Amino acid sequence: MSSVSFENCGFEVRQNLIDAHTDAWDRIASPGTWLTGERRIAVAAEIRQARACEFCAEIKDALSPNAVTGTHTTISNLSDAEVELIHRVVSDPGRLSEPWSQEVLAGGLSEGEYVEIAGTIASVMVMDTCTMALGVADTDLPDAIAGEPTRYLPPGAKVEAAWLPIVEPEDAVETDEPLYPSPKAGYIYRGLSMVPESMRNYWAMANEHYLPGEFIYQFDKTIRALERPQMELMAARVSALHQCAY
Amino acid sequence: MLRESTQIADNEVNLKDVTQGLSEGTQIPNAEVLVNFAEAIVSRDPANIAATRQVVSDTLGNDATVDAAAVVSAFHGFVRIADSIGIPYTTAVLGQDAPEMREEAGINDFYRIQEAG
Repeated sequence: MSSVSFENCGFEVRQNLIDAHTDAWDRIASPGTWLTGERRIAVAAEIRQARACEFCAEIKDALSPNAVTGTHTTISNLSDAEVELIHRVVSDPGRLSEPWSQEVLAGGLSEGEYVEIAGTIASVMVMDTCTMALGVADTDLPDAIAGEPTRYLPPGAKVEAAWLPIVEPEDAVETDEPLYPSPKAGYIYRGLSMVPESMRNYWAMANEHYLPGEFIYQFDKTIRALERPQMELMAARVSALHQCAY
Repeated sequence: MLRESTQIADNEVNLKDVTQGLSEGTQIPNAEVLVNFAEAIVSRDPANIAATRQVVSDTLGNDATVDAAAVVSAFHGFVRIADSIGIPYTTAVLGQDAPEMREEAGINDFYRIQEAG
């Protein structure tokens, strides 16, 4: 089990948030759908490395992300395609493009690996940002758990609405196991659906930071200590600072 | 989400503030305190995070500070899913996102929309 601690941050952190971090780190350390636990932990380490990568800083400062050339500073033995995916999604997500995603795939990553890594990036970014925001150090990376990935490919996954395949609610089948809380789940919810396990793991963690799905469109209710417009104002500002158009 | 929630709560919001920073056109309780904290977290500046977090704590208390940190953190994940998977921005808020609203908020100036032409 991972050693998540919010002790010494000076705040009493709700238990479901602590549990969400603990569970998410345990799942990251476990074999996934396309990646072993060892590779997933290497991805997590590389996510943290990307924050200190000088080439990433150059890209972010450039008028165009394609205007600079160089090499990422890496600490892992992950492939060049994996490192490019991780560093760019961590450092400059608002200026990614479909041709860029195709180049990453052409570099030797399968679509499933790409989506699983994207889900891991999103999870680690949420948890590391939360600990940083509350003034505590990054959680120590857990030891990888041995085992083989399941290599489950949902039969309904297809490239249509997004750059990567998505399982639309009407295309989900029983072997996918529960995917959507509602057939109206938004596209942000569907984003990781090509790797159902990653999708379920991500939302189990993210819901405890923001809101569970059943509360998203209940604007007159809140289960947090903030009013809904306060939450949405911060959310919108953070998205805008990331140049996220969604 | 912001527009919908402010309408229901009878708050006021200037959508430009999302991209340009707070103005008097946005009237949401403790907006400045919370946005300052959110901006500090995005900047990853430890001193600024600590200072703005203290203001949130002094103003709104323990639970709101934890929830503010959690919400801001959550959107560090959502944006990366949306932008790495290439989710169509026109589907935001179940397709209720309107071009006029994106224009009003200044979102149409973002790289991805400019690249899409």
